[in-house]
Amino acid sequence: MDVDPRAVAAAVRRTDSASDERIAVDCPEPSPLHDAVGCIRPEMGLRTRTALARAGRTRGLETPYDEELRETRRELDAIAVETEPLESHRERVTEAEAAVEQARIRAAEARGRVRERSESGLDPAPAESELDDALQTLSEAETDAIAARQAYERDRRRQRERRDRRERRFRLEERVANLERQARSHLVDRLRDEFRGVLSRVPGATVTDEPAEPFEVDSVTAALAVAHLGDISAPVVVGIDRFGSAVAASAWLEAPVLYI
Amino acid sequence: MLLVIAYSREARQSLRNVCRSHDESVIRRFGRVALFEATEFGAFQALRLREKHGEAIQLEQTVPFNEFESVRPDVREAVAAYEDRETPFLPYEQFQTGSDLPSPTEMKERDLPSG
Repeated sequence: MDVDPRAVAAAVRRTDSASDERIAVDCPEPSPLHDAVGCIRPEMGLRTRTALARAGRTRGLETPYDEELRETRRELDAIAVETEPLESHRERVTEAEAAVEQARIRAAEARGRVRERSESGLDPAPAESELDDALQTLSEAETDAIAARQAYERDRRRQRERRDRRERRFRLEERVANLERQARSHLVDRLRDEFRGVLSRVPGATVTDEPAEPFEVDSVTAALAVAHLGDISAPVVVGIDRFGSAVAASAWLEAPVLYI
Repeated sequence: MLLVIAYSREARQSLRNVCRSHDESVIRRFGRVALFEATEFGAFQALRLREKHGEAIQLEQTVPFNEFESVRPDVREAVAAYEDRETPFLPYEQFQTGSDLPSPTEMKERDLPSG
């Protein structure tokens, strides 16, 4: 059967997209580490530092930033940002005020016609009734515009309150991101030497000795090293030919393997 | 000018991208705030951001500030007098007490003419 390793990995991760209907995998919930190195194939990409930090987490490593991180995330969750859109009335107020302008012009014209007819000795009555209508329309348009303006102002005030909340949220998000960066680099620092040491032992690695730039090695070698260092319980999809067998792959990764 | 403020990390990223690719329509950018030129194209870029990020993008249009138009003379006189004071650490509140200068409370209650 010809299957794409990515489709198998999608089945392991139970993501709907890119999954192959022929495949179903019943297995433990994949960890964030599995997201990074759970599908090893020749053309894979890898953010090695991030993956290495995740491997450290699977081994229960902690950082001095964890407590603040948990607290900040809790604070962040507590601030709800409204998803319900706020009707801003921008369009309504513009249209209502334009309608008033129009009605004003029409009323002035009607008034002009009444005057004209009177001055030229004609019966002003027909023009007068037209003027009454125009004035009635104007008064309605004005009422409407006042209501629209009030709604607009009220929503501007509500927008401002919502933005205050967004501002607080934004700052917390920034703090979380900073703490995550710090925690990650703490974990990477702790695991750097171990990672460097394991690289030359990775099956099929072209790396000899301990490379000076361990994060520059090819993605497959890095992924195999990271997966070896971390604890993985969901099956790793292996789509490369560096191992002779599924057993050999499983022995290196110390994890269940789907060998393709 | 058009004032554009981003209220989320994603919105800030988009704002950065717009500023980078449309340098000529951006007058200034400070972190997650930018001033776009008041042209249709500036508005186009600003509205694109709001279309994408909704309320996480705030848009305002700024107007040049002319104090001779918007502020009564008393306030301008108060500014000159206070900046010219001899005791640098004297708060304005105390400085104006007993004088004809407007009090902070009085000034807080008066809005500037809009527009």
